[in-house]
Amino acid sequence: MPNKKILIVDDDQDVLQGMHVRLKANQYDICLAVDAFSGVAEARRSAPDLILLDLGLPAGGGFMVMDRLKMIPSLAIIPVIVISARDGLGNQKRAFDAGAKAFLQKPVDDKQLLAVIRQALGEPAATKKPTLHDQGAV
Amino acid sequence: MKEKALQVLLVEDNAGDVRLLREMFSKERPGSFELSHCLRMGEAERHLSKGGVDIVLLDMGLPDGHGLDTVRRAHAAAPGVPMIVLTGLDDEALAAEAMKEGAQDYLIKGQIENRALPRALRHAIERHRMQTETDLIRLQQIQFKDEFLSHVSHELRSPLSAIRQFVTILLDGLAGELQPEQQEYMEIVLKNVNQLQSMISDLLEVTRVQAGKLMIEPQCTSVADAIAYAVDTLQGAAIAKGITLSSDIACRLPSVCADPTRMRQILIILVDNAIKFTPANGEVKVKARVFDKDPSLVVLEVSDSGCGISPEMTERIFERLFQASDPSLEGRKGLGLGLYICKDLVTRQGGRIWARSALEQGSVFSVTLPIFSLPNLIAVAFRKEVRADRPVTLVVTELGSKSGWVSNDVRAEQSHGVREILQRCLHSHLDVLLPKMGVSEAAELFFIVAITDSIGGEAISKRIQEQLQEHVERAGLTASTSHLSLPRTQRDSNGSTEQYLDQVATGIQDLINAEISSRMVINA
Repeated sequence: MPNKKILIVDDDQDVLQGMHVRLKANQYDICLAVDAFSGVAEARRSAPDLILLDLGLPAGGGFMVMDRLKMIPSLAIIPVIVISARDGLGNQKRAFDAGAKAFLQKPVDDKQLLAVIRQALGEPAATKKPTLHDQGAV
Repeated sequence: MKEKALQVLLVEDNAGDVRLLREMFSKERPGSFELSHCLRMGEAERHLSKGGVDIVLLDMGLPDGHGLDTVRRAHAAAPGVPMIVLTGLDDEALAAEAMKEGAQDYLIKGQIENRALPRALRHAIERHRMQTETDLIRLQQIQFKDEFLSHVSHELRSPLSAIRQFVTILLDGLAGELQPEQQEYMEIVLKNVNQLQSMISDLLEVTRVQAGKLMIEPQCTSVADAIAYAVDTLQGAAIAKGITLSSDIACRLPSVCADPTRMRQILIILVDNAIKFTPANGEVKVKARVFDKDPSLVVLEVSDSGCGISPEMTERIFERLFQASDPSLEGRKGLGLGLYICKDLVTRQGGRIWARSALEQGSVFSVTLPIFSLPNLIAVAFRKEVRADRPVTLVVTELGSKSGWVSNDVRAEQSHGVREILQRCLHSHLDVLLPKMGVSEAAELFFIVAITDSIGGEAISKRIQEQLQEHVERAGLTASTSHLSLPRTQRDSNGSTEQYLDQVATGIQDLINAEISSRMVINA
């Protein structure tokens, strides 16, 4: 079975690279975008199975990305997981209203991220080879 | 420019004293004071709530109010109005107490010298104004500090999480195998990153504590589960330091009325501290039993064989930013916020926290939490004055979402808001809002025990539903309220109140269990 493809949209290069390495190691194919505009363009081009979306993005923000995706039937069905450093339940509610499958607060725990991704993709839990240094902060 | 007359409210029931004070005011320049007079406290409260009073002259012995109670009532009716109390010669100590309750000054009847009265009034008003201004500035400073702390801790999290991410990538060998020595050094980096991350979480938590934003939702909570969680979480850290971490829980220990998340947090802070301050080969133990000094409480104890605390420090360690100053301690320090957060969490759940310790002899931290008891919770509504034949109703409010699923965070936040609204809908002496009584996966359930007359259940459900409607609609949620009658339990004139309460509580618990199980999602 081919690997599932995940699009990561985040304006922080370090976060992008870190997630890229981590998800690739868990047998996902990755494509990246650094702003809202290229996020939508990349989603059209590569038709990913899942999108990880930051909210604070240049050129429109995460909510705009979700709005645009909804207008294109082939993209509207792609599950979106919002990952944001923004606090407050207002954003969380707005994200769910806009159709997000899950909302994760930065800093994201890798184990949690992988679990949410598997759930959103409808994969059984922990079928992927675990490559995680499990030494969580207290 | 003509000065506006000061509106003085005199609250005094003694006709002689009133006449004397009126005479004093009459000697003042016309138009500088305007005096109104009330004989009773109730009358004064109504007058004050209308506004327009600049200062109150308050006698502390009235037909319908006495002593400090009058001061508190006047203060409650008009918190922004300065007050001078009038006392007798032998009551000066009481007058001093009144000033702690918010009075600006006191005058001793019969000792008020000529011209002293207007000066005292003006002085009190001015002092009150300055006090209000200082309070406001202090409040703004605290607010600024909290916002600053909150902002800084948020900003610190981003780069730190990037560091953590790449360190774990290296440690997991995702960028190639590490040499044993490299592996060891990266482990040290990760340990310190984790430490920094937990300090930042403490900072954020403490700003929430101070802004009153920390949410606590008490429910029937298992002590054993919370202890098992804390011990499991920290066992790794204990083993790494060569410390034996164990627990000892009394058998058939009752559940407590506490927020399970907060209880785990309390235990984590205490056990983590104990491990920090205990040297290798030491021991940390978590115990729980019914408190022998008060059987309505459970006491949790975290004891260690560490360096101990000097007796004069055992009180101070719960202060914010307090840190043990002994440089010989090899244990890592935090920000000195853990125990402060812990104390806040324990106190807000109706418990107490204290430490017993001696230098070089280890420490024991004890926390009490109230035992969960349905009869005790409902007892307030079943006082003697409540007629025995009034029916008991269980009102059930169910919170759901239009889309069928809400995240746990939204659920917690909304549940808190709804709980506050429900609390406001209650008749304080006849209705009891129960803490969370069990988890229904399908919906958030709230239960109110109400002592009603024959149509009361309908009325209270309607009132609650009306109050909730706007709130839940704004949040995109749904709420429905229904009521169930409890089978009649006659209050037996021979039986004890305890027996009666037990019977009613059993009936209520049965209804609640049925409600929860009827909403269970059946997993195929």
